[in-house]
Amino acid sequence: MDERFILVGARSPQPSPPKKPGWYTGKPVISMTILAALLLGCLCCGLFMPKDPAYMDLFHASQAPSREFWFGTDTMGRDIFSMIWFGGRVSLSIGALSTAVSTGIAILFGTVSGMAPKWLDGLLMRGTEIFLSIPSLLLVVFLQAALGKAGVLSLSLVIGLTSWTSIAKVVRSEVRRLRGSEYVLASRCMGGGFFHILRQHLAPNFFSSIMFMVVMNVRSAIAAESTLSFMGIGLPLETISWGSMLSLSEQALLSGAWWIILIPGGFLVAAMLCMASIGNWLRDGGSQGSSNL
Amino acid sequence: MRRKNPFIYYGGKALAFVISVFLLSAAVFYVSRLAPGDPLVSYYGERAEKMTVAERAQAEARLGLDQPISVQYIRWLENALRGDFGISYKYKTDVVKVISSRLPNTLLLGGIGFALIFTGALVLGALCAWYEGRLADRLICRAGTVISCIPEFWLSLVFILVFAVQLRWLPSSGAYTTGGGGFGDRAIHLILPLAVTAAGHLWYYAYMIRNKLLEEVRSDYVLLAKAKGLNRRTVLSRHCIRNIMPSYLSLMAVSVPHVLGGTYIVETVFSYPGIGTLSYESARYQDYNLLMLLCILSGTVVIFCNILAQIASERLDPRMGSGDMEVPEHG
Repeated sequence: MDERFILVGARSPQPSPPKKPGWYTGKPVISMTILAALLLGCLCCGLFMPKDPAYMDLFHASQAPSREFWFGTDTMGRDIFSMIWFGGRVSLSIGALSTAVSTGIAILFGTVSGMAPKWLDGLLMRGTEIFLSIPSLLLVVFLQAALGKAGVLSLSLVIGLTSWTSIAKVVRSEVRRLRGSEYVLASRCMGGGFFHILRQHLAPNFFSSIMFMVVMNVRSAIAAESTLSFMGIGLPLETISWGSMLSLSEQALLSGAWWIILIPGGFLVAAMLCMASIGNWLRDGGSQGSSNL
Repeated sequence: MRRKNPFIYYGGKALAFVISVFLLSAAVFYVSRLAPGDPLVSYYGERAEKMTVAERAQAEARLGLDQPISVQYIRWLENALRGDFGISYKYKTDVVKVISSRLPNTLLLGGIGFALIFTGALVLGALCAWYEGRLADRLICRAGTVISCIPEFWLSLVFILVFAVQLRWLPSSGAYTTGGGGFGDRAIHLILPLAVTAAGHLWYYAYMIRNKLLEEVRSDYVLLAKAKGLNRRTVLSRHCIRNIMPSYLSLMAVSVPHVLGGTYIVETVFSYPGIGTLSYESARYQDYNLLMLLCILSGTVVIFCNILAQIASERLDPRMGSGDMEVPEHG
């Protein structure tokens, strides 16, 4: 309460004691649990997979979910239940790998741009704008065509190379804010090199503000992988991932085999939704104070 | 500084535009030359594979392929400025012709989609700000988060599965039925792609509007306006929304690449004959001349929109200055 409005002599209103917060308060517990379960299932899929995910049982192609095939089979007779867990490994690791690539580039680029003199900074930022000007999907398509046949590594590299700009912008503005601080100046006076200052002084300070974007980056990388694989320019059909499973959906649409489309997509959306809510939790709550309206 | 000569101001912007497009074309050209695949094939088609070594060398010399890449680029640029971007390997005709036959379709889909997103986001965001913290706000927020997590291609697939395969209400692909092409026919084919485009982007911008408005309604002038006796609706529509318009306009201009990229995917899934399907095909068949022009074309649109956004925000809101002013950061 603003002290200007306190009446002299009036009893100050006793705020009711706040409920003791549990360890779970404000944390996206459900999302974390689901995501952990998905991760664990994908990592240990060898223990409980009923079928070999790559085995094409052509006698049982396009079968609806049944007791033998829990989630049905795809148009090539592969067991979708086993493929989900096996393919989840690929999808999630592409998400992690490409985020590592893009975060690395973003931190380096952002720090260089933030520490650079004004003209270089302007040049680098203009370069980023040009880079941003190409729709990222087109860029991925172009790079992938240039790199040749797609594998897990090359696809992560391509996705990482095309998704670093937004993080780099945040890093740059944070570094510009931090670079005038006394401890950075002191470190430079004592002869601290670029990477020393980055690791010891800058990174710990801007880390929290890019954390949210890093999580969102994992999410969009998984989406990008599935989109590309679905369109047939990402992972080939033999490399099982959630995206490449969906690349069979054109044929599935014709035969009305909903399980080929809905089940892998459902897992994909569930994983992305969990990451989104964790990301939102990492970004502190929105505007404070009450509305004047 | 504030009141610059408009001639210099717009001239500078135009110069920045030209330089950016030039750099973009150079980058695209270099990448496409580094790409695998035989450039001779893109000029001569199948015949390139049957050439003898001497014929190949001769052809390469004629096309200038034996020269360093920067010389090649200048040669390409000369041709491009004359409007000659080469021949599409797949369609065997001038690249410009191939693109111009598809462009109106994409402009129709993208334009209507963009207008839908633009107005829809404003309405949704304003609704959220109006009912802040109440059921409607929370419901819209929840639904928006869920929908924004669904990849566009999968949403398209689900829509096709439900509305075209199961219910048979709407066509599943194309822009018109063969032979048809009337207004109603086109409109029916546009419904599903438009729905996906709008659903995929709407929430992102609505959320921006919501956050901006929530900041806005916490400022002091709202109190003053209410003290003056204005009702809530007038304050929100006349003052708050008006105040966020400059940043919203520039945001919308900057958002063109996202919406554009989105329609590319949607077009491909619905096999809608537009630029998106074309660039997807050209990437699959390594049709580099076509892909290059498509990249440059969409890049140019985006750069143009970026500059437009700068101009809009600087003209509409004099506080933005000429970019020299640092945006205050909250620690």
